[in-house]
Amino acid sequence: MNRKLKITTLDVVILTLLLALAAYVVYRLTMQLNYKWNWGILPQYFFYIDEETGRWVANILVKGLWTTIRLSFWATLLAIVFGVVTGLMRISKRLFWRLIGASYVELIRNMPPLVLVFIFYFFVSDQIMPLLGVEDFVRSRPDNVKNLLTFLFASPQQFTAFTSGAITVAVFQGAYITEIVRAGIQSIEKGQWEASYALGLTWGQQMRWVILPQAVKRVLPPLTNEFINTIKYSAIVSVISIQELTFQGMQIMASTYVTIEVWITITAIYLLICFSLSMGVRKLEVHLARSEA
Amino acid sequence: MALNKVGDPIIRVDRLYKTFPNGVNALVNFSGHVHRGEVVVIIGPSGAGKSTFLRCLNGLEEIDSGTIVIDGIPLDEKKKNRLEIRKEVGMVFQQFNLFPHMTVLDNVNLAQIRVRHKSREEATQTSMELLNKVDIADKAAAFPDQLSGGQQQRVAIARALAMMPKVMLFDEATSALDPEMIGEVLDVMKNLAREGMTMVCVTHEMGFAREVSDRVIFMEKGTIVEMGTAEHFFENPAEERTRLFLSQIL
Repeated sequence: MNRKLKITTLDVVILTLLLALAAYVVYRLTMQLNYKWNWGILPQYFFYIDEETGRWVANILVKGLWTTIRLSFWATLLAIVFGVVTGLMRISKRLFWRLIGASYVELIRNMPPLVLVFIFYFFVSDQIMPLLGVEDFVRSRPDNVKNLLTFLFASPQQFTAFTSGAITVAVFQGAYITEIVRAGIQSIEKGQWEASYALGLTWGQQMRWVILPQAVKRVLPPLTNEFINTIKYSAIVSVISIQELTFQGMQIMASTYVTIEVWITITAIYLLICFSLSMGVRKLEVHLARSEA
Repeated sequence: MALNKVGDPIIRVDRLYKTFPNGVNALVNFSGHVHRGEVVVIIGPSGAGKSTFLRCLNGLEEIDSGTIVIDGIPLDEKKKNRLEIRKEVGMVFQQFNLFPHMTVLDNVNLAQIRVRHKSREEATQTSMELLNKVDIADKAAAFPDQLSGGQQQRVAIARALAMMPKVMLFDEATSALDPEMIGEVLDVMKNLAREGMTMVCVTHEMGFAREVSDRVIFMEKGTIVEMGTAEHFFENPAEERTRLFLSQIL
Protein backbone atom coordinates (compact mmCIF):
# COMPACT_ATOMS: atom_id res chain seq x y z
CA MET A 1 0.00 0.00 0.00
CA ASN A 2 3.06 2.23 -0.12
CA ARG A 3 2.17 4.14 -3.23
CA LYS A 4 4.21 7.20 -3.94
CA LEU A 5 2.34 10.43 -4.25
CA LYS A 6 3.15 11.97 -7.60
CA ILE A 7 1.78 15.38 -8.47
CA THR A 8 1.48 16.14 -12.17
CA THR A 9 0.77 19.43 -13.90
CA LEU A 10 -2.78 18.29 -14.52
CA ASP A 11 -3.31 17.72 -10.78
CA VAL A 12 -2.11 21.25 -10.06
CA VAL A 13 -4.43 22.73 -12.68
CA ILE A 14 -7.45 20.80 -11.42
CA LEU A 15 -6.71 21.62 -7.78
CA THR A 16 -6.33 25.31 -8.59
CA LEU A 17 -9.61 25.33 -10.45
CA LEU A 18 -11.38 23.58 -7.58
CA LEU A 19 -9.97 26.02 -5.05
CA ALA A 20 -11.01 28.93 -7.23
CA LEU A 21 -14.52 27.52 -7.48
CA ALA A 22 -14.73 27.04 -3.73
CA ALA A 23 -13.48 30.56 -3.12
CA TYR A 24 -16.06 31.90 -5.54
CA VAL A 25 -18.89 30.03 -3.80
CA VAL A 26 -17.78 31.31 -0.41
CA TYR A 27 -17.50 34.81 -1.81
CA ARG A 28 -21.00 34.68 -3.27
CA LEU A 29 -22.44 33.27 -0.06
CA THR A 30 -20.79 35.78 2.24
CA MET A 31 -20.64 38.93 0.17
CA GLN A 32 -23.25 38.83 -2.52
CA LEU A 33 -26.01 36.71 -1.03
CA ASN A 34 -28.95 38.55 0.39
CA TYR A 35 -28.84 36.45 3.52
CA LYS A 36 -28.03 37.27 7.10
CA TRP A 37 -25.79 34.63 8.58
CA ASN A 38 -26.56 33.69 12.14
CA TRP A 39 -24.38 30.78 13.25
CA GLY A 40 -24.50 31.95 16.85
CA ILE A 41 -28.02 30.73 17.32
CA LEU A 42 -27.18 27.08 16.65
CA PRO A 43 -25.02 25.88 19.61
CA GLN A 44 -27.91 26.23 22.06
CA TYR A 45 -29.79 23.63 20.03
CA PHE A 46 -27.07 21.13 20.85
CA PHE A 47 -26.71 21.91 24.57
CA TYR A 48 -28.03 24.62 26.86
CA ILE A 49 -27.71 25.46 30.55
CA ASP A 50 -30.83 24.54 32.46
CA GLU A 51 -31.71 27.59 34.54
CA GLU A 52 -33.13 25.65 37.47
CA THR A 53 -30.30 23.22 38.00
CA GLY A 54 -27.50 25.18 36.34
CA ARG A 55 -26.35 22.06 34.44
CA TRP A 56 -25.71 21.48 30.75
CA VAL A 57 -28.63 19.69 29.14
CA ALA A 58 -28.87 18.10 25.72
CA ASN A 59 -31.15 19.98 23.38
CA ILE A 60 -33.16 18.80 20.39
CA LEU A 61 -30.28 18.42 17.92
CA VAL A 62 -28.40 16.06 20.21
CA LYS A 63 -31.64 14.27 21.06
CA GLY A 64 -32.45 14.03 17.37
CA LEU A 65 -29.02 12.64 16.62
CA TRP A 66 -29.46 10.08 19.37
CA THR A 67 -32.86 9.09 17.94
CA THR A 68 -31.31 8.75 14.48
CA ILE A 69 -28.62 6.50 15.91
CA ARG A 70 -31.14 4.35 17.81
CA LEU A 71 -33.41 4.18 14.81
CA SER A 72 -30.59 3.21 12.47
CA PHE A 73 -29.25 0.68 14.95
CA TRP A 74 -32.54 -1.21 15.31
CA ALA A 75 -33.37 -0.85 11.65
CA THR A 76 -29.96 -2.23 10.64
CA LEU A 77 -30.23 -5.12 13.04
CA LEU A 78 -33.71 -5.98 11.83
CA ALA A 79 -32.70 -5.48 8.18
CA ILE A 80 -29.89 -8.00 8.64
CA VAL A 81 -32.39 -10.49 10.05
CA PHE A 82 -34.82 -9.89 7.16
CA GLY A 83 -31.96 -9.95 4.67
CA VAL A 84 -30.46 -13.20 5.91
CA VAL A 85 -33.82 -14.97 6.22
CA THR A 86 -35.09 -13.98 2.79
CA GLY A 87 -31.59 -14.32 1.33
CA LEU A 88 -31.69 -17.97 2.41
CA MET A 89 -35.20 -18.26 0.95
CA ARG A 90 -33.87 -16.96 -2.36
CA ILE A 91 -31.41 -19.84 -2.64
CA SER A 92 -33.77 -22.50 -1.32
CA LYS A 93 -34.32 -25.69 -3.28
CA ARG A 94 -38.05 -25.21 -2.87
CA LEU A 95 -39.86 -23.01 -5.33
CA PHE A 96 -42.28 -21.84 -2.62
CA TRP A 97 -39.54 -20.18 -0.56
CA ARG A 98 -37.83 -18.80 -3.64
CA LEU A 99 -41.09 -17.17 -4.75
CA ILE A 100 -41.67 -15.58 -1.35
CA GLY A 101 -38.14 -14.23 -1.32
CA ALA A 102 -38.37 -12.94 -4.88
CA SER A 103 -41.75 -11.30 -4.27
CA TYR A 104 -40.45 -9.46 -1.23
CA VAL A 105 -37.40 -8.16 -3.05
CA GLU A 106 -39.26 -7.13 -6.18
CA LEU A 107 -42.13 -5.52 -4.27
CA ILE A 108 -39.84 -3.39 -2.14
CA ARG A 109 -37.36 -2.59 -4.86
CA ASN A 110 -40.05 -1.24 -7.15
CA MET A 111 -41.69 0.99 -4.61
CA PRO A 112 -40.74 4.49 -3.42
CA PRO A 113 -39.56 4.31 0.19
CA LEU A 114 -41.75 7.26 1.11
CA VAL A 115 -44.85 5.34 0.02
CA LEU A 116 -43.74 2.41 2.11
CA VAL A 117 -43.37 4.71 5.11
CA PHE A 118 -46.97 5.88 4.68
CA ILE A 119 -48.27 2.36 4.22
CA PHE A 120 -46.57 1.30 7.39
CA TYR A 121 -47.59 4.35 9.31
CA PHE A 122 -51.26 4.25 8.39
CA PHE A 123 -51.77 0.49 8.38
CA VAL A 124 -49.24 -1.10 10.64
CA SER A 125 -48.72 1.69 13.14
CA ASP A 126 -52.35 2.83 13.17
CA GLN A 127 -54.14 -0.50 12.98
CA ILE A 128 -51.92 -3.42 13.94
CA MET A 129 -49.84 -1.91 16.75
CA PRO A 130 -52.91 -0.84 18.83
CA LEU A 131 -54.38 -4.27 18.13
CA LEU A 132 -51.30 -5.86 19.62
CA GLY A 133 -51.50 -3.42 22.49
CA VAL A 134 -47.87 -2.37 22.15
CA GLU A 135 -48.32 1.08 23.59
CA ASP A 136 -50.45 -0.10 26.52
CA PHE A 137 -47.88 -2.77 27.20
CA VAL A 138 -45.09 -0.19 27.36
CA ARG A 139 -47.13 2.20 29.49
CA SER A 140 -48.03 -0.48 32.01
CA ARG A 141 -44.40 -1.49 32.67
CA PRO A 142 -42.76 -0.48 35.95
CA ASP A 143 -40.79 2.77 35.83
CA ASN A 144 -37.31 1.25 35.56
CA VAL A 145 -38.36 -0.93 32.60
CA LYS A 146 -40.06 2.08 31.06
CA ASN A 147 -36.86 4.10 31.42
CA LEU A 148 -34.83 1.35 29.85
CA LEU A 149 -37.27 1.07 26.94
CA THR A 150 -37.16 4.84 26.52
CA PHE A 151 -33.39 4.74 26.48
CA LEU A 152 -33.21 1.87 23.98
CA PHE A 153 -36.18 2.75 21.78
CA ALA A 154 -38.39 5.75 22.49
CA SER A 155 -40.64 7.27 25.12
CA PRO A 156 -44.04 5.55 25.58
CA GLN A 157 -45.91 8.21 23.59
CA GLN A 158 -43.38 7.88 20.73
CA PHE A 159 -43.00 4.12 20.99
CA THR A 160 -45.41 2.98 18.26
CA ALA A 161 -44.22 5.58 15.78
CA PHE A 162 -40.59 4.73 16.53
CA THR A 163 -41.01 0.98 16.14
CA SER A 164 -43.03 1.26 12.95
CA GLY A 165 -40.43 3.70 11.63
CA ALA A 166 -37.62 1.31 12.44
CA ILE A 167 -39.53 -1.61 10.90
CA THR A 168 -40.23 0.40 7.74
CA VAL A 169 -36.58 1.22 7.20
CA ALA A 170 -35.66 -2.38 8.04
CA VAL A 171 -38.17 -3.83 5.59
CA PHE A 172 -36.85 -1.51 2.92
CA GLN A 173 -33.17 -2.13 3.56
CA GLY A 174 -33.79 -5.85 4.12
CA ALA A 175 -34.69 -6.24 0.47
CA TYR A 176 -31.32 -4.91 -0.62
CA ILE A 177 -29.45 -6.93 1.98
CA THR A 178 -31.34 -10.02 0.75
CA GLU A 179 -29.73 -9.69 -2.64
CA ILE A 180 -26.30 -9.16 -1.14
CA VAL A 181 -26.69 -12.21 1.11
CA ARG A 182 -27.85 -14.31 -1.84
CA ALA A 183 -24.93 -13.20 -4.00
CA GLY A 184 -22.49 -13.77 -1.15
CA ILE A 185 -23.67 -17.31 -0.48
CA GLN A 186 -23.77 -18.20 -4.16
CA SER A 187 -20.21 -16.95 -4.58
CA ILE A 188 -18.87 -19.66 -2.26
CA GLU A 189 -17.29 -22.54 -4.19
CA LYS A 190 -19.27 -25.77 -4.51
CA GLY A 191 -16.35 -27.64 -2.97
CA GLN A 192 -16.95 -25.95 0.38
CA TRP A 193 -20.50 -27.31 0.45
CA GLU A 194 -19.32 -30.75 -0.61
CA ALA A 195 -16.48 -30.99 1.90
CA SER A 196 -18.66 -29.90 4.82
CA TYR A 197 -21.45 -32.20 3.63
CA ALA A 198 -19.08 -35.15 3.49
CA LEU A 199 -17.97 -34.41 7.06
CA GLY A 200 -21.54 -34.90 8.27
CA LEU A 201 -22.46 -31.29 9.03
CA THR A 202 -26.16 -30.47 8.84
CA TRP A 203 -27.33 -27.71 6.53
CA GLY A 204 -27.51 -25.27 9.41
CA GLN A 205 -24.01 -26.17 10.55
CA GLN A 206 -22.66 -25.83 7.02
CA MET A 207 -24.15 -22.35 6.85
CA ARG A 208 -23.06 -21.29 10.32
CA TRP A 209 -19.50 -22.58 10.31
CA VAL A 210 -18.41 -22.80 6.67
CA ILE A 211 -20.50 -20.79 4.20
CA LEU A 212 -21.63 -17.64 6.01
CA PRO A 213 -18.26 -16.74 7.58
CA GLN A 214 -16.71 -16.70 4.12
CA ALA A 215 -19.70 -15.04 2.47
CA VAL A 216 -19.88 -12.24 5.05
CA LYS A 217 -16.25 -11.40 4.46
CA ARG A 218 -16.84 -11.15 0.73
CA VAL A 219 -19.94 -8.97 0.94
CA LEU A 220 -18.75 -6.64 3.67
CA PRO A 221 -18.10 -3.71 1.27
CA PRO A 222 -21.59 -3.76 -0.34
CA LEU A 223 -23.09 -4.48 3.07
CA THR A 224 -21.42 -1.35 4.48
CA ASN A 225 -23.08 0.57 1.71
CA GLU A 226 -26.46 -0.65 2.91
CA PHE A 227 -25.66 0.17 6.54
CA ILE A 228 -24.89 3.72 5.49
CA ASN A 229 -28.05 3.78 3.41
CA THR A 230 -29.98 2.72 6.50
CA ILE A 231 -28.76 5.79 8.35
CA LYS A 232 -29.59 7.98 5.39
CA TYR A 233 -33.04 6.49 4.87
CA SER A 234 -33.81 6.95 8.55
CA ALA A 235 -34.33 10.63 7.63
CA ILE A 236 -37.39 9.68 5.64
CA VAL A 237 -39.37 8.69 8.74
CA SER A 238 -39.36 12.34 9.82
CA VAL A 239 -42.57 12.55 7.77
CA ILE A 240 -44.32 10.43 10.39
CA SER A 241 -43.19 12.78 13.18
CA ILE A 242 -40.39 10.68 14.57
CA GLN A 243 -38.16 13.26 16.20
CA GLU A 244 -34.91 12.25 14.59
CA LEU A 245 -32.22 14.54 13.26
CA THR A 246 -33.93 15.71 10.07
CA PHE A 247 -37.22 16.31 11.89
CA GLN A 248 -35.45 18.43 14.50
CA GLY A 249 -33.72 20.35 11.71
CA MET A 250 -37.12 21.22 10.26
CA GLN A 251 -38.34 22.28 13.70
CA ILE A 252 -35.40 24.64 14.22
CA MET A 253 -35.77 26.00 10.71
CA ALA A 254 -39.46 26.70 11.30
CA SER A 255 -38.83 28.57 14.52
CA THR A 256 -35.61 30.44 13.68
CA TYR A 257 -35.47 30.78 9.86
CA VAL A 258 -31.69 30.17 9.87
CA THR A 259 -32.22 27.76 6.99
CA ILE A 260 -28.78 27.39 5.48
CA GLU A 261 -26.92 27.11 8.79
CA VAL A 262 -29.31 24.43 10.02
CA TRP A 263 -29.00 22.27 6.93
CA ILE A 264 -25.23 22.67 6.71
CA THR A 265 -25.07 21.53 10.33
CA ILE A 266 -27.40 18.60 9.74
CA THR A 267 -25.40 17.60 6.67
CA ALA A 268 -22.18 17.73 8.67
CA ILE A 269 -23.64 15.49 11.37
CA TYR A 270 -24.88 12.87 8.87
CA LEU A 271 -21.55 13.01 7.08
CA LEU A 272 -19.75 12.49 10.37
CA ILE A 273 -21.72 9.42 11.47
CA CYS A 274 -21.80 7.79 8.03
CA PHE A 275 -18.11 8.42 7.51
CA SER A 276 -17.15 7.05 10.92
CA LEU A 277 -19.25 3.97 10.20
CA SER A 278 -17.51 3.30 6.91
CA MET A 279 -14.12 3.85 8.56
CA GLY A 280 -15.09 1.40 11.27
CA VAL A 281 -16.11 -1.27 8.79
CA ARG A 282 -12.95 -0.63 6.78
CA LYS A 283 -10.96 -1.41 9.94
CA LEU A 284 -13.01 -4.58 10.40
CA GLU A 285 -12.30 -5.60 6.81
CA VAL A 286 -8.57 -5.17 7.29
CA HIS A 287 -8.81 -7.14 10.52
CA LEU A 288 -10.71 -9.97 8.83
CA ALA A 289 -8.29 -10.02 5.93
CA ARG A 290 -5.39 -10.33 8.35
CA SER A 291 -7.00 -13.23 10.20
CA GLU A 292 -6.66 -15.29 7.05
CA ALA A 293 -2.94 -15.28 6.35
CA MET B 1 -1.97 -57.29 -0.40
CA ALA B 2 -3.36 -60.50 0.89
CA LEU B 3 -7.08 -60.93 0.62
CA ASN B 4 -7.35 -62.70 3.95
CA LYS B 5 -7.37 -59.42 5.90
CA VAL B 6 -10.64 -58.60 4.18
CA GLY B 7 -13.90 -58.91 6.12
CA ASP B 8 -17.61 -58.77 5.43
CA PRO B 9 -19.06 -56.47 2.75
CA ILE B 10 -19.27 -52.93 4.14
CA ILE B 11 -20.40 -51.24 0.93
CA ARG B 12 -23.08 -53.00 -1.10
CA VAL B 13 -24.38 -51.43 -4.27
CA ASP B 14 -26.96 -53.06 -6.47
CA ARG B 15 -28.07 -52.16 -9.99
CA LEU B 16 -27.22 -48.47 -9.86
CA TYR B 17 -28.42 -46.31 -12.72
CA LYS B 18 -27.69 -42.66 -13.18
CA THR B 19 -28.14 -40.45 -16.22
CA PHE B 20 -27.06 -36.82 -16.18
CA PRO B 21 -29.48 -34.14 -17.44
CA ASN B 22 -27.32 -33.82 -20.58
CA GLY B 23 -28.11 -37.44 -21.45
CA VAL B 24 -24.77 -38.95 -20.46
CA ASN B 25 -25.12 -42.34 -18.80
CA ALA B 26 -22.86 -42.12 -15.76
CA LEU B 27 -23.86 -45.43 -14.18
CA VAL B 28 -25.43 -48.34 -15.99
CA ASN B 29 -26.48 -51.38 -13.97
CA PHE B 30 -23.55 -50.99 -11.62
CA SER B 31 -23.37 -53.61 -8.86
CA GLY B 32 -20.66 -54.70 -6.47
CA HIS B 33 -19.35 -55.02 -2.93
CA VAL B 34 -16.48 -53.55 -1.03
CA HIS B 35 -15.35 -55.59 1.94
CA ARG B 36 -14.26 -54.29 5.31
CA GLY B 37 -10.55 -53.52 5.19
CA GLU B 38 -10.40 -53.76 1.42
CA VAL B 39 -8.63 -51.25 -0.80
CA VAL B 40 -10.41 -50.90 -4.11
CA VAL B 41 -8.98 -48.80 -6.90
CA ILE B 42 -11.22 -47.68 -9.73
CA ILE B 43 -9.57 -46.77 -12.99
CA GLY B 44 -10.88 -45.93 -16.41
CA PRO B 45 -10.99 -43.21 -19.05
CA SER B 46 -12.45 -39.83 -18.17
CA GLY B 47 -16.22 -39.77 -18.34
CA ALA B 48 -16.41 -43.42 -17.34
CA GLY B 49 -18.47 -42.60 -14.25
CA LYS B 50 -15.73 -43.29 -11.67
CA SER B 51 -16.13 -40.06 -9.72
CA THR B 52 -19.90 -40.18 -10.08
CA PHE B 53 -19.94 -43.62 -8.49
CA LEU B 54 -17.80 -42.42 -5.62
CA ARG B 55 -19.96 -39.35 -5.09
CA CYS B 56 -23.11 -41.46 -5.03
CA LEU B 57 -21.73 -43.49 -2.12
CA ASN B 58 -22.16 -40.62 0.35
CA GLY B 59 -25.11 -38.97 -1.36
CA LEU B 60 -23.24 -36.10 -3.02
CA GLU B 61 -24.89 -37.28 -6.23
CA GLU B 62 -28.34 -38.85 -6.45
CA ILE B 63 -28.81 -42.16 -8.15
CA ASP B 64 -31.79 -42.63 -10.47
CA SER B 65 -32.42 -46.18 -9.31
CA GLY B 66 -30.74 -49.03 -7.44
CA THR B 67 -29.69 -49.49 -3.84
CA ILE B 68 -26.66 -48.43 -1.83
CA VAL B 69 -26.13 -49.91 1.63
CA ILE B 70 -23.18 -48.85 3.75
CA ASP B 71 -22.41 -50.78 6.92
CA GLY B 72 -26.02 -51.92 7.06
CA ILE B 73 -27.49 -48.45 6.57
CA PRO B 74 -29.44 -47.93 3.36
CA LEU B 75 -28.76 -44.64 1.59
CA ASP B 76 -32.39 -43.70 1.02
CA GLU B 77 -34.67 -40.69 1.38
CA LYS B 78 -34.36 -40.65 5.17
CA LYS B 79 -32.28 -37.70 6.33
CA LYS B 80 -31.21 -39.62 9.42
CA ASN B 81 -29.72 -42.45 7.37
CA ARG B 82 -27.96 -40.05 5.05
CA LEU B 83 -26.47 -38.17 7.96
CA GLU B 84 -25.32 -41.43 9.54
CA ILE B 85 -23.63 -42.46 6.29
CA ARG B 86 -21.96 -39.09 5.86
CA LYS B 87 -20.53 -39.45 9.37
CA GLU B 88 -19.14 -42.90 8.61
CA VAL B 89 -17.78 -42.18 5.14
CA GLY B 90 -14.81 -39.85 4.80
CA MET B 91 -14.06 -38.19 1.50
CA VAL B 92 -10.97 -36.59 0.00
CA PHE B 93 -11.44 -34.34 -3.02
CA GLN B 94 -9.29 -33.51 -6.00
CA GLN B 95 -9.34 -29.80 -5.08
CA PHE B 96 -8.72 -30.41 -1.32
CA ASN B 97 -11.63 -28.10 -0.37
CA LEU B 98 -10.14 -27.02 2.93
CA PHE B 99 -12.04 -24.25 4.71
CA PRO B 100 -9.94 -21.17 3.91
CA HIS B 101 -11.18 -19.09 6.85
CA MET B 102 -9.97 -21.59 9.44
CA THR B 103 -6.55 -22.69 10.58
CA VAL B 104 -5.37 -26.19 9.76
CA LEU B 105 -6.21 -27.27 13.31
CA ASP B 106 -9.71 -25.79 13.17
CA ASN B 107 -10.30 -27.49 9.83
CA VAL B 108 -9.60 -30.85 11.46
CA ASN B 109 -11.43 -29.92 14.69
CA LEU B 110 -14.67 -28.65 13.13
CA ALA B 111 -16.58 -31.86 12.50
CA GLN B 112 -15.32 -33.48 15.70
CA ILE B 113 -16.74 -30.61 17.74
CA ARG B 114 -19.92 -29.90 15.76
CA VAL B 115 -20.86 -33.40 14.59
CA ARG B 116 -19.26 -35.70 17.18
CA HIS B 117 -19.84 -33.17 19.99
CA LYS B 118 -16.35 -33.53 21.41
CA SER B 119 -14.87 -30.86 23.64
CA ARG B 120 -12.30 -28.59 22.04
CA GLU B 121 -9.52 -30.19 24.10
CA GLU B 122 -10.47 -33.72 23.10
CA ALA B 123 -10.81 -32.73 19.47
CA THR B 124 -7.48 -30.91 19.45
CA GLN B 125 -5.76 -33.95 20.90
CA THR B 126 -7.15 -36.21 18.17
CA SER B 127 -6.41 -33.60 15.51
CA MET B 128 -2.80 -33.22 16.55
CA GLU B 129 -2.32 -37.00 16.50
CA LEU B 130 -3.75 -37.12 12.98
CA LEU B 131 -1.73 -34.13 11.81
CA ASN B 132 1.33 -35.89 13.16
CA LYS B 133 0.37 -38.97 11.25
CA VAL B 134 0.17 -37.06 7.98
CA ASP B 135 3.36 -35.26 8.99
CA ILE B 136 2.07 -31.70 9.05
CA ALA B 137 1.61 -31.02 12.77
CA ASP B 138 4.02 -28.08 12.57
CA LYS B 139 1.53 -26.24 10.34
CA ALA B 140 -1.43 -26.61 12.73
CA ALA B 141 -1.73 -22.85 13.23
CA ALA B 142 -1.31 -21.98 9.54
CA PHE B 143 -4.14 -21.12 7.16
CA PRO B 144 -4.72 -23.32 4.09
CA ASP B 145 -3.50 -20.72 1.58
CA GLN B 146 -0.10 -20.74 3.28
CA LEU B 147 0.37 -24.41 2.42
CA SER B 148 1.48 -26.19 -0.73
CA GLY B 149 -1.01 -28.39 -2.56
CA GLY B 150 0.50 -31.56 -1.14
CA GLN B 151 0.34 -30.18 2.39
CA GLN B 152 -3.26 -29.09 1.89
CA GLN B 153 -4.25 -32.52 0.67
CA ARG B 154 -2.62 -34.17 3.67
CA VAL B 155 -4.59 -31.84 5.94
CA ALA B 156 -7.74 -32.77 4.02
CA ILE B 157 -7.00 -36.45 4.68
CA ALA B 158 -6.50 -35.74 8.39
CA ARG B 159 -9.76 -33.78 8.42
CA ALA B 160 -11.67 -36.71 6.94
CA LEU B 161 -9.98 -39.18 9.32
CA ALA B 162 -10.94 -37.05 12.31
CA MET B 163 -14.50 -38.34 12.00
CA MET B 164 -13.12 -41.88 12.53
CA PRO B 165 -14.81 -43.04 9.33
CA LYS B 166 -15.36 -46.68 8.49
CA VAL B 167 -14.75 -46.03 4.80
CA MET B 168 -12.57 -43.49 3.03
CA LEU B 169 -13.29 -42.31 -0.50
CA PHE B 170 -10.49 -40.70 -2.52
CA ASP B 171 -11.67 -38.82 -5.59
CA GLU B 172 -8.55 -38.28 -7.72
CA ALA B 173 -6.76 -37.09 -4.61
CA THR B 174 -3.46 -36.49 -6.43
CA SER B 175 -4.68 -35.24 -9.80
CA ALA B 176 -4.48 -31.53 -8.94
CA LEU B 177 -1.00 -31.76 -7.43
CA ASP B 178 2.35 -30.76 -8.87
CA PRO B 179 4.32 -33.92 -9.71
CA GLU B 180 6.82 -33.49 -6.86
CA MET B 181 3.99 -33.47 -4.30
CA ILE B 182 2.16 -36.57 -5.45
CA GLY B 183 4.52 -38.86 -3.55
CA GLU B 184 3.89 -37.38 -0.11
CA VAL B 185 0.12 -37.75 -0.49
CA LEU B 186 0.38 -41.28 -1.89
CA ASP B 187 2.60 -42.25 1.06
CA VAL B 188 -0.11 -41.15 3.47
CA MET B 189 -2.68 -43.13 1.50
CA LYS B 190 -0.46 -46.22 1.43
CA ASN B 191 0.05 -46.09 5.20
CA LEU B 192 -3.67 -45.81 5.66
CA ALA B 193 -4.21 -48.85 3.45
CA ARG B 194 -1.67 -50.85 5.43
CA GLU B 195 -3.44 -49.97 8.67
CA GLY B 196 -6.51 -51.72 7.31
CA MET B 197 -8.70 -48.75 6.38
CA THR B 198 -11.43 -49.57 3.91
CA MET B 199 -10.68 -47.41 0.90
CA VAL B 200 -12.24 -46.74 -2.48
CA CYS B 201 -9.90 -44.71 -4.65
CA VAL B 202 -10.44 -43.21 -8.05
CA THR B 203 -6.94 -42.58 -9.31
CA HIS B 204 -4.63 -42.52 -12.27
CA GLU B 205 -1.67 -43.64 -10.15
CA MET B 206 -1.08 -47.16 -11.42
CA GLY B 207 1.91 -47.61 -9.10
CA PHE B 208 -0.35 -47.02 -6.12
CA ALA B 209 -2.96 -49.41 -7.51
CA ARG B 210 -0.38 -52.12 -8.06
CA GLU B 211 1.23 -51.67 -4.66
CA VAL B 212 -1.64 -51.44 -2.21
CA SER B 213 -4.92 -52.34 -3.86
CA ASP B 214 -6.71 -55.59 -3.12
CA ARG B 215 -8.88 -55.17 -6.13
CA VAL B 216 -8.83 -53.04 -9.26
CA ILE B 217 -11.99 -52.14 -11.13
CA PHE B 218 -11.78 -50.95 -14.69
CA MET B 219 -14.81 -48.89 -15.61
CA GLU B 220 -16.04 -47.53 -18.88
CA LYS B 221 -19.34 -45.93 -19.90
CA GLY B 222 -20.83 -46.41 -16.47
CA THR B 223 -20.22 -50.13 -16.14
CA ILE B 224 -17.53 -52.48 -14.89
CA VAL B 225 -15.48 -53.79 -17.79
CA GLU B 226 -13.12 -55.87 -15.73
CA MET B 227 -12.38 -56.47 -12.09
CA GLY B 228 -9.67 -58.42 -10.31
CA THR B 229 -6.63 -58.42 -8.07
CA ALA B 230 -3.89 -55.96 -8.95
CA GLU B 231 -1.68 -58.83 -10.04
CA HIS B 232 -4.27 -60.27 -12.39
CA PHE B 233 -5.13 -56.86 -13.62
CA PHE B 234 -1.72 -55.59 -14.55
CA GLU B 235 -0.05 -58.86 -15.53
CA ASN B 236 -2.82 -60.64 -17.31
CA PRO B 237 -5.91 -58.60 -18.14
CA ALA B 238 -8.66 -60.64 -19.79
CA GLU B 239 -10.49 -57.93 -21.74
CA GLU B 240 -9.16 -56.38 -24.90
CA ARG B 241 -10.49 -52.97 -23.79
CA THR B 242 -8.54 -53.18 -20.52
CA ARG B 243 -5.35 -54.06 -22.35
CA LEU B 244 -5.80 -51.13 -24.67
CA PHE B 245 -6.38 -48.73 -21.77
CA LEU B 246 -3.38 -50.01 -19.84
CA SER B 247 -1.15 -49.79 -22.87
CA GLN B 248 -2.16 -46.17 -23.27
CA ILE B 249 -1.40 -45.09 -19.72
CA LEU B 250 1.49 -47.31 -18.61
